[in-house]
Amino acid sequence: MDYTMEDSQNSAPDALEATKLNNSGQRTETQSVTKRLQAELMQLMLSPSPGISAFPDGDGNLLSWTATITGPTETPYENLNLKLSFSFPNTYPYSAPTVLFKTPIYHPNVDFSGRICLDILKDKWSAVYNVQTVLLSLQSLLGEPNNASPLNAQAAELWDNDQEEFKRQVLARHLDLDDE
Amino acid sequence: MLSTVPLNAGRRRVFGSVFSPASLEARPPLASSFDHDQAALASFQSTASFATLKVDSQTGSFVSAHETTDPLSDHETWDQAWSAATAFLSIPDHGFAPIYEARDTDGSEMLRAWNRLTPPSKETADSLSYLAAATQQTNTLQGGASSRGLFSWYSDEIRRHFLTNLRGGLYEVLHSSDKSGLLRTIVDCLQLAFRLYLAPIRHYLLPLIPASEQSRIFTQLQRGFHTVVSYSLPWLQISPLLTQEFAQDALIILGIDTLLEDPDSDDEEQDEMEVDGEYSVSYCDWKHANAETRAHMMTEHENNEVTMARDRLLAFLNGLQLVGLGGDKAQKVFANVMNIMMTEFIRAAYTSQWEAPTSVPQHLRHWVENVFARLAVQVLNIIHTQPSNQPAGTLDVSFTDVEKWQEIAVSRLGALRASELFDVIVEWPTSTGAVEDLKHFTTHPAARTYVTQSFIAILNQRLLHPGASTVEILQLYISIIRAFHLLDPKGVLLDRIARPIRRYLRDREDTVKVIVSGLLAEPPTDDTSDLPSSHDTLVELSTELSKAHQLSLQTNTSELDWDDMNWMPDPVDAAPDYRKSKSSDVIDSLISLFDSKETFVKELQTLLGDRLLQKREDYDQEISVLELLKVRFGDSALQACQVMLRDISDSRRVDHSIRHDQDLHAKILSRFFWPEIQDQEFIVPEEISSLQERYSEGFEALKQSRKLTWRNGLGQVTVELELGDRSFSNEVTTWQATVIHAFNSTTENEQEPISKSILDLSTDLKMASALVRSACLFWVSKRILVETSRDTFRVLEFLPTEAEVAEGSANNDGGAGGITADAGDAAAAAEAAAAAAAKETAEAAAMEKMNLYWQFILGMLTNQGAMNLQKIVMMLKIVVPGGFPFSNEELREFLAGMVSKGKLEIVSGGSYKLVH
Repeated sequence: MDYTMEDSQNSAPDALEATKLNNSGQRTETQSVTKRLQAELMQLMLSPSPGISAFPDGDGNLLSWTATITGPTETPYENLNLKLSFSFPNTYPYSAPTVLFKTPIYHPNVDFSGRICLDILKDKWSAVYNVQTVLLSLQSLLGEPNNASPLNAQAAELWDNDQEEFKRQVLARHLDLDDE
Repeated sequence: MLSTVPLNAGRRRVFGSVFSPASLEARPPLASSFDHDQAALASFQSTASFATLKVDSQTGSFVSAHETTDPLSDHETWDQAWSAATAFLSIPDHGFAPIYEARDTDGSEMLRAWNRLTPPSKETADSLSYLAAATQQTNTLQGGASSRGLFSWYSDEIRRHFLTNLRGGLYEVLHSSDKSGLLRTIVDCLQLAFRLYLAPIRHYLLPLIPASEQSRIFTQLQRGFHTVVSYSLPWLQISPLLTQEFAQDALIILGIDTLLEDPDSDDEEQDEMEVDGEYSVSYCDWKHANAETRAHMMTEHENNEVTMARDRLLAFLNGLQLVGLGGDKAQKVFANVMNIMMTEFIRAAYTSQWEAPTSVPQHLRHWVENVFARLAVQVLNIIHTQPSNQPAGTLDVSFTDVEKWQEIAVSRLGALRASELFDVIVEWPTSTGAVEDLKHFTTHPAARTYVTQSFIAILNQRLLHPGASTVEILQLYISIIRAFHLLDPKGVLLDRIARPIRRYLRDREDTVKVIVSGLLAEPPTDDTSDLPSSHDTLVELSTELSKAHQLSLQTNTSELDWDDMNWMPDPVDAAPDYRKSKSSDVIDSLISLFDSKETFVKELQTLLGDRLLQKREDYDQEISVLELLKVRFGDSALQACQVMLRDISDSRRVDHSIRHDQDLHAKILSRFFWPEIQDQEFIVPEEISSLQERYSEGFEALKQSRKLTWRNGLGQVTVELELGDRSFSNEVTTWQATVIHAFNSTTENEQEPISKSILDLSTDLKMASALVRSACLFWVSKRILVETSRDTFRVLEFLPTEAEVAEGSANNDGGAGGITADAGDAAAAAEAAAAAAAKETAEAAAMEKMNLYWQFILGMLTNQGAMNLQKIVMMLKIVVPGGFPFSNEELREFLAGMVSKGKLEIVSGGSYKLVH
């Protein structure tokens, strides 16, 4: 006798039930995330803030975006276009999106692979934040780095001691991704 | 003898393989004396009388010889008796013609003429009995060789005679051009021939031999005759003729012919039938009859035609069987014909008989049992294959056979219904009977698949094409839901059928609109229900909504309800993602057409907005519909709609408290919850705007921190106009009123009527010129204004008299004289102008929307880099809520505009790129 067959038959309904449950749960979750992101996008489009912009990637779902920050004036990043990637978890907005700099950037709170040290993206995240607020925070972070907890110690030191050299480093590291 | 038969070598071989050469050339085995042969030869060529004479001359000696036992004289006596007997029995060669001509008579005359009934003379009779007795003896003594002698000789004689005389004639008959009744002729001839051959044997020879031998010998001869008949008449040519014969009579006996001609003579006959309880197989008659009459209807009171046809057929079949054309071959033909007849009957009797409650299956079973099976039993009784195989008294048709036929008939009925299904559903709900019939058919998976597949094919062909309006499709879909719910309460079939329809409906742009307007439509009251329901709204939906409301209140038990003792597994042929629905809930099926409810809610909002802004006494209909929909969609989804309704009722209250005996009533809408309203901007007359201001003040006093923004384009105004010779009072739109207000005479005594051009009005009122033109044309149609020259209008204070009209038209030479412009034309023009104005605003709104899309495009190109048109369109379709309504071409045009404005540039590969 082929008992494995029997077993699988017996267990099939349970498995099926489980997948059904999961599916429906997952779907509603994804739907609510999508809904929220769509609303955020609409808001961004209806009331655009100067210097920041974001848009979903063309992969059909809205869970990954690309954002652009134009460097604020009177900072070393003036007129630089900085690209970021947003990746939203299924639990968004209850967990923070993963935000990375795509453009190589020389900044005390950003490491060389683009990771950002910003409290609202970590433990201080709250559901009231959204793409726009994150981008605005990042924009202000460019002008006012948090040198108390640097990821790039050299940059932190240069920022404090040698703005000239800092700016030179920034420009040296910058690479405009648009031209690719 | 045999050499006279025209046989070619090939045929001879075939023939030979069937009849052993020995039997063909068999001679009387004993005393192969030459003179016997000669006598035989002579007898074949001589006339009957001559033979008889000859026999007479020989008689004297051989009666005594019979008694002697002397072998030599015995031999001689035998010879004499043999020649006498063979001379008596031999068949005269008269050819085919006499038989052909005598086929319609009873044949006795013919038999007499051919000397087949003449009793043998004393001597011949003696010789016959001698031979028979000798047969008896030799049977025991010589192993029966001689006994077969006489009969096998006669068998050969029959064969010879048939082949020489009849075969050619029959062959000619068979190939004659007139085919009707041909087979009957042939059978008649053959029957006559058969009697001709066997009459003497039966009458004079068989009584001489013992009873036990009689039937054996008779059968032997009969079989010999049958073989030669079937040899000379090829079955391939007989069977179509036989089919024809069967079909002709079966049509009458089974009652199909009356059904086919019924519709014309229906009325007259029906009365008779009800009175007499006359024989009828018609379903109509049967259905109306009471149970008692039903039982007898098909079994008794057969009308003459049927009885005649039956007798005719049975007589014919008797003949057929007798001459050897019956048997299993005929049975096959018969089965074939009956098969066709059954289909034919079902088609004739039940097509378009869709009334409920149905008793078609009962009627059909009844028919099969009493009419169909009866004929089958009667026919098969005659054309049996081997009577010897079966004990006497058993029927060829058992009861299980009848049951099987009934099953077959019911499934044929199902096939008929399946092919009619589309029309059945179009006729719904007067055709529920047909679906009940179909229910008897869809009992096994193959039939179910057949029904769904054939129906889907018809659907694709007849419904799901651009020629059918969405309302029609939805209406039919509703009928389909109801019909298939009746057919298959589990909903598996519906699930299968609905898929293509739903897919198609999803592609239709106006589906949502039609459904929602159907939901909001006034349910037909009793007096209007007789009217043909309007073709542009689905009034059923609103009825359905209030009706189905009770059903939906029952909690829909889910798969996970472990306590559900009535739980059943999904049917085996259900699709993997089949969901069980407890009720045939039409509304639910329609609402679930689309993945999200938002589309519906949005459309509902728009439509509700339009309706709420109309000036009406109450909005009970909207409120009740909304309450019912809330049960389905949930409160949160319809929140906006609810706010809209509350706005209306609130504003009535507010209106009451603010109003200071003004004639201005306002509806206060919460902007956020209402769909976007297209508004026409213009300046209202001062009188009105001062009223508005006072109203606003009152409102702001009542509701602090809220502010009114007036929507001048929406609303109704009651206008009273005092003209030179008449007054006018009507309810018009605000912009129409504003325009006519501009023509208001400032002073009472001003003689010259005011005349204004569209351009002036447009600047004065800050109103779009298209709208101004539309309003002016509206007033022209009311004969308040006239267009004196192009785009200039004047008040028509006094209506022109007939004479003036004639004069005016004469003066103007039929030119563009506005005075004579026909009011009807003007009305049409006004309508067209209004439409144009509406279009203009719609376009402006679209442009507004385009600006929003521009933001999207901007964001897209900023973040994702340069993109080509296709990609932009694709992205817009994904990210813009509610979809992107413009075509590729429109977008290309828009983008080209942006390129020329210097905001975009086209880079390599036709991609668009932002200019920094």
